[in-house]
Amino acid sequence: MAILDLSIPRDRRKRAWWIWISVLSVMVVVGLVGAVRVMVLGLEVTGLTDRVPWGLWITQDLSSIATGAGAFTFSAIVYLLNVKKYQPIARAAVFVGFLGYSSAMLALAMDIGRPDRFWHPLVYWNVHSVLWEITWCVVLYSTVLFLEFLPIFLESEYFDRWPWLEKVGDRLHRVSPVFAVIGLGLSLLHQSSLGATYGVLSGRAIWFKPSLPVMFILSAVAGGISMTLLLTIVVGKLQNQPIISRELKSNISRFAAIALIAYLYLKLWDWAATSYYSQSPGASEALARLQATTPYTQTFWWLEVILGGVIPAIILLHPRLKRNDRYLMVSLLMVIVGVTINRWNVTLSGLVAPPQWSPGVIGNVIAASYLPTLTEIAVSVGIIGYALLAFSLGVRYLPIYPKPGEAHQH
Amino acid sequence: MAEHNLPDQEKPQENQQDDQKKGLLSRQDFLKIAGATGATAVITQLITAGPLSPDAIEGIGRRTHPHEEGTSENEWRMGIDLEVCIGCQYCMWACQATNDVAEDDMRWNVGFPERTESGTDFYMTRPCLHCAEAPCVKVCPVGATWIREDGVVSMDYQRCIGCRYCEVACPYDVRRFNWDAPTEKNLYTPTWGTPEIERRSRGVVEKCTFCEHRIDRALQNGLTPGVDRSVTPACVTACPVNARVFGDVKDPESPMSQFLREKETFVLREDFGTEPKVHYVRPEKEEEV
Repeated sequence: MAILDLSIPRDRRKRAWWIWISVLSVMVVVGLVGAVRVMVLGLEVTGLTDRVPWGLWITQDLSSIATGAGAFTFSAIVYLLNVKKYQPIARAAVFVGFLGYSSAMLALAMDIGRPDRFWHPLVYWNVHSVLWEITWCVVLYSTVLFLEFLPIFLESEYFDRWPWLEKVGDRLHRVSPVFAVIGLGLSLLHQSSLGATYGVLSGRAIWFKPSLPVMFILSAVAGGISMTLLLTIVVGKLQNQPIISRELKSNISRFAAIALIAYLYLKLWDWAATSYYSQSPGASEALARLQATTPYTQTFWWLEVILGGVIPAIILLHPRLKRNDRYLMVSLLMVIVGVTINRWNVTLSGLVAPPQWSPGVIGNVIAASYLPTLTEIAVSVGIIGYALLAFSLGVRYLPIYPKPGEAHQH
Repeated sequence: MAEHNLPDQEKPQENQQDDQKKGLLSRQDFLKIAGATGATAVITQLITAGPLSPDAIEGIGRRTHPHEEGTSENEWRMGIDLEVCIGCQYCMWACQATNDVAEDDMRWNVGFPERTESGTDFYMTRPCLHCAEAPCVKVCPVGATWIREDGVVSMDYQRCIGCRYCEVACPYDVRRFNWDAPTEKNLYTPTWGTPEIERRSRGVVEKCTFCEHRIDRALQNGLTPGVDRSVTPACVTACPVNARVFGDVKDPESPMSQFLREKETFVLREDFGTEPKVHYVRPEKEEEV
């Protein structure tokens, strides 16, 4: 059992656990209520409109897939580059990845108008659509994650009574490197194409640029590593025994910081090339409207760049600051929040400042607006509740992390 | 855990592989490189000239990547003369009735009062522009929207999954999503026409189709859309001042070909590169500007 802080009396620990599980269960129930409302009444209950047809749930899809990117990153490090010392965190990364992708699929199932036709992209192909490619990659990669995760599940004591199941798990585990290669390929494809979803839209000047796919994958690597590391540190704190060594923690944070800096560097040049040194008429006009009527320019600089990028990058690289677990955890959280805000900003900025097409001067929409409704928020809360609940139960009952006695060993 | 349990007989094999690797390039390495090169070549072929290439759409039988010319004998286009339009909104009501768009906040054919930069008031109306390089068509993950051979951007409401990527992609705000089940009574029927197509279900995207059902009916009956009123888009026939013109631009004598020959026209936001098939005449003469 992972939650095993020996310094706290047993019943207090037990009570804290049950409070935590109850809170998460309530979140899931709230989400279910929202989901039923959406299913019965339709997407009318959302704040979405024809002008802003994507909102909170798309942000949630994009962020949970981005923060699930630790799975392919660590799988690649452990199984391809054969750096075995990261093994203790690789399983957690796969688990977090699986939860991220399943969360995204739950949000998508809510978001599409005809969830009963979710299988259409697999049967009716439009190979020219980025979203078609993403659908295939996400479906295949979720399968890979499931197969990577299955051995961990089958390893638990509960399945001891069926030895053949353990054998299946063992076989699957042995082909992990194969999964790692497939997973890496699929992830490199769709993590980038999620950015391309916006980047290829030639009629939408704010989005239309080739840098978006690359920025998406770099931020996903940073966010994915941060999510896995943060959760690992938190679990270590709760069981009062660190799961990974100080050195490993330091290496991983450096790796996250490097991805973050690469992302920031690209962001800098993206801004400089499209908004400072040169401007395309459509983009500058839309950006000017954004600046005049919405807070997106401010949230871009302050939340995405400074709080979500520069400050955590400094902490994650600073030899003294990053040794302090509190600083480390806060900076990892800042990366995750920064990536999430980025996904929101990318989605909404292009939609709330729609292209002006009327040849006159008064009929054009200056800025469309969007505010998620309570139902939308309820569903999102429910999905977060699902992910945290599954993570908590998984860490407690499955061999995700090495047990406290055998830490640093595998 | 599991990797400790590797069966013993596999280990010598691994050693053998290690021995082989000592050479400059083992046969296995060579095969790997050759395989990777071959696979890359095959994939490159597939996506540039093969069945996955942007120009090959036979796979789904619908043109989802515009590029090439349609093979049809017809190409339908619409003209809207903003100088002639009086803003009576008949075109919108006829559209709502004919295509059974019941809700007032959901219009395929939109219209609103406008003013030019020099201060001339006019009425702006806009159906779907049926772009030759339609962004909505390229992005649909299931090919539920495509460009017909005659240039009409069409929808398959049975295939649409309601992801709304087409709404996000369209720069002209043309597409409409069914946020709820459309159960309202259509107030525009029967005054402005009778529904000629089925109402769409909740959860799918819909849009103006240039009244494609009328075009299809025309070809069966030997009639000419744009000339014979019963097979011309409802908005065009409803216009009391003939501000809207429709026709086949592959027929030089069609009303649309004449319109394009005789008037100075423009398309909305040509810089988007979408190549719309709806052509406008400015609400005021150039010299007045």
